[in-house]
Amino acid sequence: MNPEVLQLTGFSQQPAWLPWAVQYFFIIGLSVGAFLITLPAYVLRWSPDQRAARAALLVALTTGLAAPVALLADLHQPDRFWHFYAFGQAGSWMAWGSFFLPAYVGLLTLYGWLALRPELAQRARDPGPVGRVAGLLAGSGVELPRARRSVGWVTAVAAALVALYTGAEVAVVAARPLWHSALLPVVYLTTGIAGGAGLALLFVGRFETPRRTLFRWLWAALALTGLTVLAWMLGVSGSGTAHALLRLATEYRPVSFGLWLLFGLLLPLVLAWFHRAPIAAGLLAISGAWMWRWEIFMAGQGIPKNDVGFYGVHLSLGPEGLLGIVGTLGLWVLIALALTALLRPTANVQG
Amino acid sequence: MDTSRRNFFKGIAVGAAATAVAPSHAATERPTGDSRQRWGMVIDLRRCIGCQACTVACGTENRTPLGSYRTVVSQYELSEGGRPRRAVLPRLCNHCEDPPCIPVCPVDATFQRADGIVLVDNTRCVGCGYCVQACPYDARFINAETGTADKCTFCAHRVDAGLLPACVETCVGGARVFGDLNDPKTAVSQLIAEHRVSRLNEQAGTEPQVRYIGLDGRLQSKVEGVPAPLRASLEEVMS
Repeated sequence: MNPEVLQLTGFSQQPAWLPWAVQYFFIIGLSVGAFLITLPAYVLRWSPDQRAARAALLVALTTGLAAPVALLADLHQPDRFWHFYAFGQAGSWMAWGSFFLPAYVGLLTLYGWLALRPELAQRARDPGPVGRVAGLLAGSGVELPRARRSVGWVTAVAAALVALYTGAEVAVVAARPLWHSALLPVVYLTTGIAGGAGLALLFVGRFETPRRTLFRWLWAALALTGLTVLAWMLGVSGSGTAHALLRLATEYRPVSFGLWLLFGLLLPLVLAWFHRAPIAAGLLAISGAWMWRWEIFMAGQGIPKNDVGFYGVHLSLGPEGLLGIVGTLGLWVLIALALTALLRPTANVQG
Repeated sequence: MDTSRRNFFKGIAVGAAATAVAPSHAATERPTGDSRQRWGMVIDLRRCIGCQACTVACGTENRTPLGSYRTVVSQYELSEGGRPRRAVLPRLCNHCEDPPCIPVCPVDATFQRADGIVLVDNTRCVGCGYCVQACPYDARFINAETGTADKCTFCAHRVDAGLLPACVETCVGGARVFGDLNDPKTAVSQLIAEHRVSRLNEQAGTEPQVRYIGLDGRLQSKVEGVPAPLRASLEEVMS
């Protein structure tokens, strides 16, 4: 801080990207991360751990279906979403995202259906409306592993494009040095995998094998997150963005950044490494993925591009703030309840 | 129903339809400007008294929502060798030659006219806020009333009618000078030729078309200093 310059009058800039944006990037990050966890068992045939893959698939599906709603809500003119398709501009990452996202969600739904239809068919034997709905969705209920693998590969491409565009559309913004880092997409991906693994730990029940699998994903993703953030701070992706991140961590938001570092990164990393407290580790990893996005998006918009100081981060209670966050969570809970109601309890799933 | 009455109602129907369609059609028609001109502004800081008359005139002319501004005058106290002096810095959209707000727009709503003025087509804008993030001058905002991106237009509607932008027209000290940069006889061209002018945030490489005379180097890029003790938008103060 230069004491020779004293600001007399200043004007704060309201954030253009609201907490809805944080929710979108958080939820879609979890979905892509969790989808990747399904690949070894469902597509690559590297792992026999079907339970871990199934839990991760439930996470990927439920979050993937909820994500577009948060994205639409962040538009200040949501009823004009069709303009993306009528007037799309090839030079904008966001324009590309408007094609990548529906492709990913559509393919993910098909992939999930192919993976879960034998379960749906079994559920269809139950009397009552849930059984009837499961029967309608199951079709013949025959397992189609080759189709699942083929769709899985295409979905993996779509997931990679979603991970790329969500990271790149923020990282290309040169006007915000904090965002202008080639490592930002990497951290979005690794925190997304950590959050996805964390949420899958809550779905997997008390089985040791899938827990071990998910713990491995969790600590690997968190370790990569820590190393990438360290490289970022050391200037690997440029000195300007490193300076901005260090300033965020030490000057603008030391408490929040410290909380993320301790509870969103280090503690779940230790718990995952020692295979301890899966629920706590999972919840901490989820909150870590959210906190990282909150700090980058909301605190990032609080840093004036030209002027003095820090605008601060304000969370309103209405639909553009806390209510929006709670609403997104509520939508995810609703989708998760609907999907799990159509499937067998976790305890009955073959490992 | 006799023929004249039927014609009367037909006339009303046709008129109503034309009224409904015409404004929306007119609104989507983009002004192109004259490619022989390149509009720009020179702000002579020696003449600016920081009265914010430009801020008020802009708000009145363009009906910006309460608490949102297309132009403001930031004010600072700068010290040199323990001797303080007051400094002002009017800020607005720089109508960059290479505007970073345009390529990021996913729906091609923000565009540059042939005369260099950068505008937002708010009938097409989806309010995604991407251009707000990309602008290196914090010159854009989301208009709370329209839900679309908003910024200084150099008062293009006035310029096209042969008038000066409202902020230039109202400037008490005559600090804001507007004109055609391609014409060497205009006041802006002569000021640029005769004075050492500087531009804000030049390292961004966007070729801003607002120039300053008498700009302190400490205010040229991101200002580092002691923030104002009270910094709130007018909206917050009023609520």
